[in-house]
Amino acid sequence: MLPTPLPMKKANLYMVDADAQAAAITLARLAVMHPLAEGDGDQALEDYPAASYFDVYHDLNSRFGKVSPFVKFPFDDAATSAGIVTLLQLQDLDRQVKELWAQVSSMEERMRRQNEKISAVRQLSNSLQKFTSLDLDLGRLRRQGRFLRIAVGTVPAGNFNQLKRALSLIHFMIKTFYSSEGIDHVVVFGPSQQREEVQDLLQSADFRGLTIPEEFSGNPVELQADLDRQIKQAQQRIEKMNRELSELMDENRVVLQSAHDALLLAQPYASLATVLRGKGGLVFLQGWVPAGRADEVRQRLQQDLEFPFHLSFADPEQREFDTVPSLLQPSWLLTPFQVLVKTFGMPGYREVDPSGLFALSYVIMFGMMFGDIGHGAVIACLSLLFRRRYPGVTIVGVLAGGSSILFGFVYGSLFGYEHIVPALWMSPMHDPVRVLLLAVLWGAGFILVANLLAIRNFIAAGEMHQAVYSGKGLAGLLFYVAAFYGAYQLLQNGRFGWHESLLVTLPMAVIVYFQWQQSSGGLVERVLVVFIEALEHIISNVSGTLSFLRVAAFSLNHIALAAAVFAIAGMLDSFGHGVTVVLGNIFIIVLEGAIVAIQCLRLEYYEGFSRFFGGKGRTFAPLKLET
Amino acid sequence: MSGFGSVYLGTRLSVLASRLISIEQLIGFIQLDLERIFSQVQQLTDRDYEFEDSNPDRIGGQLTNRALDDFQVLIRPFSGGERRFFNFAIRWFELANLKVLIRGKFNGIESRAIEEQLIDLRSFSDLPVRRLLDTDDPYEMLRLLETTAYGGIVRHARRMYEEHGNDLFLLDATIDRSFFIDLYQRTRFLRSADASHVGQVLGGLLDRFNLLWLLRYRFTYELSAAKSFYLLTKTGNRLHSADLMRLARMDSVEDVVAALPEPYRQLLANVKDVSDMETVMEYHSLGLAAQALHRRPNLLSRSFAYILLREAEVRYLQALIKGKWLGFDNDLIGQAIGAGA
Repeated sequence: MLPTPLPMKKANLYMVDADAQAAAITLARLAVMHPLAEGDGDQALEDYPAASYFDVYHDLNSRFGKVSPFVKFPFDDAATSAGIVTLLQLQDLDRQVKELWAQVSSMEERMRRQNEKISAVRQLSNSLQKFTSLDLDLGRLRRQGRFLRIAVGTVPAGNFNQLKRALSLIHFMIKTFYSSEGIDHVVVFGPSQQREEVQDLLQSADFRGLTIPEEFSGNPVELQADLDRQIKQAQQRIEKMNRELSELMDENRVVLQSAHDALLLAQPYASLATVLRGKGGLVFLQGWVPAGRADEVRQRLQQDLEFPFHLSFADPEQREFDTVPSLLQPSWLLTPFQVLVKTFGMPGYREVDPSGLFALSYVIMFGMMFGDIGHGAVIACLSLLFRRRYPGVTIVGVLAGGSSILFGFVYGSLFGYEHIVPALWMSPMHDPVRVLLLAVLWGAGFILVANLLAIRNFIAAGEMHQAVYSGKGLAGLLFYVAAFYGAYQLLQNGRFGWHESLLVTLPMAVIVYFQWQQSSGGLVERVLVVFIEALEHIISNVSGTLSFLRVAAFSLNHIALAAAVFAIAGMLDSFGHGVTVVLGNIFIIVLEGAIVAIQCLRLEYYEGFSRFFGGKGRTFAPLKLET
Repeated sequence: MSGFGSVYLGTRLSVLASRLISIEQLIGFIQLDLERIFSQVQQLTDRDYEFEDSNPDRIGGQLTNRALDDFQVLIRPFSGGERRFFNFAIRWFELANLKVLIRGKFNGIESRAIEEQLIDLRSFSDLPVRRLLDTDDPYEMLRLLETTAYGGIVRHARRMYEEHGNDLFLLDATIDRSFFIDLYQRTRFLRSADASHVGQVLGGLLDRFNLLWLLRYRFTYELSAAKSFYLLTKTGNRLHSADLMRLARMDSVEDVVAALPEPYRQLLANVKDVSDMETVMEYHSLGLAAQALHRRPNLLSRSFAYILLREAEVRYLQALIKGKWLGFDNDLIGQAIGAGA
């Protein structure tokens, strides 16, 4: 029996409105129901009773998310065992958090302005340092003359040219005396009659002017001290606001903890906003539940709901197979491989779960391509060493390393040395042709299994014509076997007779006829499509099989790399020899190990999965309590 | 771009150009009822729109989505600086969203109502729309916007808001101005041939906006000549800095029009209203874009011209369909798409 995703049942739950939240929390705690958005329940239940609840939940969640980065204390998760959160409670909390956020946002804005001020004053301070080298009495800047107005400050470099031209329209001039980091340090001067117009223009150009204090005597050091004082004041204000912010959070600790708890408990019901339907106090919820947990769901709802409810379970119908979510059989051994399978795509509800076959073939191919007792042991040990940090990788690493050790004994290879451990079979280098042939046979077997799985998936989906006549179906399988037999006869006996031709032609004719039936459009277009698809089928089978030559190629490559390391090491003294061998082995483990891991994955995805596996299943996403 | 890429893009552009609806055709649609407009649009554009549901917002979404699909196809052969320029030019669509968001928040409009006006730009969007909609006050939104790719533009908008309040035109103009400056700067990273051809198309656009802004700042907002000039953007094809400085000193709209270089003086000679001038200038700049699309050999400038023309097509069609759907008078709809100018 081939593994498939867990069988599901469609749950139809009718209950009174007052119990809907409790039901949502119960189901979320069980993490057992995948709510069905496009349900087929009673059309008379046209309202969405959780919609307004969701709106408030969304607002509160958003505001809480904005406030929480300022919270320094940890939230107590134990408090979430409380019951349901009513809409009124949620609204009240939202109002309180909104008020709190208004205060925080206002402080943030004030801090932003203080930071902007600090940045502007620093620029002016920089400007002043450059100014001291000029022979100019800074006191003149305060004592604006009757006829001449002068201003010193900074302006973004991108604004300078346009500002210069605009100032010329009112007979002002602007000169840059220093530029740095996109800021121009400038002196602006012109007739004093245009004071307001200039001020307005400079403000638009983001000009930051140097203000000269009343008591300024003309000494730049005094001015620098004034700027430093301004920076310090702004920093003090920011520190004060940070303290106030912290105090504000502490004062509102109870509200924040309540909001935190309420959000956790409100989330399941809020997430049903587009799913839960109702009318006049009656609500209806539909979803997929793993068949094995249906009784548990009924029992828990009986315990937790106050009013009577009606719960029924139904097996999925054939037309629903595409929409039933897939939940792969939990298994500690296969979990990391299931993750790799899901990277390609989720198996459909009725499709074979390829995780087991994938794990087996992946581990075998890794060992075949990277067979070395020492290298395998290093990979397995490192995987165990980092098991806490990378738990997902540990199982794959240990199995791949173990397979590598096993094939290391088969090849008689230990850290690249071929003479220390006697080979159970032989080193691939001793007969490369035989190794290449074995790789092709392995590939052919791999493709045949993939083809059989495809036929099984077609049958499960009720697509009998595809299962029998298509290139991925029985006809394709027979064509592949016949082509392989024909190629064998040709290479072994030098003949490709009429019965081989017949064996190849008959299934291909079936495939072509089936494609012709499936195609649409004009005659020429159909001929072209069928011809190209038939050609593509032949080419993909040939290239797919030959693709497995890489299994042999990498096993040879592994030995060749080790030989190269020893050749280099052989040219050095004993210390150099040792260092080269160690570094060379590290290089082989890291680089070639990574390449082999990727190549195995490539073979699985492109030569395996793509032949039998649509990967278009829906992931089982149960209602659950977020933590 | 590879030789194959050039042939591919050239062919694509020719096909897409043949499906654009001209201004004249759009003006002709004003007299038709909605059903006939839909069938004409289907026929001229050779695209399968779903017009059964005639809700103008959803139709607008479809029009934009198809435009984005086509841009996605056009962008494929580009790489490096060309691709970055093309991507940035498409932000022209997102500026509409940015303006809706800023205006909406400053006017205290409900997030849901703002959301309805936004265009879904899919992968072309750089704005964290959901988070922006969830902001509780305009300054919170500005702070968030300052962390996005539009940070520079938003800082200018903030300054304009603090100086002049929530004035629709000034806010829009500030955002557009910053966008044009950034777009213009991106032409520097193009190959010289591309930059020159793109500059011609962009120049028409810059002339149009500079002239319009100058007239508005000087005679509607009565800003000083210096400030009006400062608030303009990079110079375009015909209106150079010296021209704009000279025009800024003029005392009336008529004087400005009389002092314009050709062809603008002739184009605007008999137009009295600034809104009509805006339409005439827009048609003129779109005409330049159409010329570039059909006649220029340079693929980047043709693609850029296509974006401008398609954006105008989407905008005009949306206005037309919305007007018809709401039962507006044909004259009013005509004004919305500038048919009278």
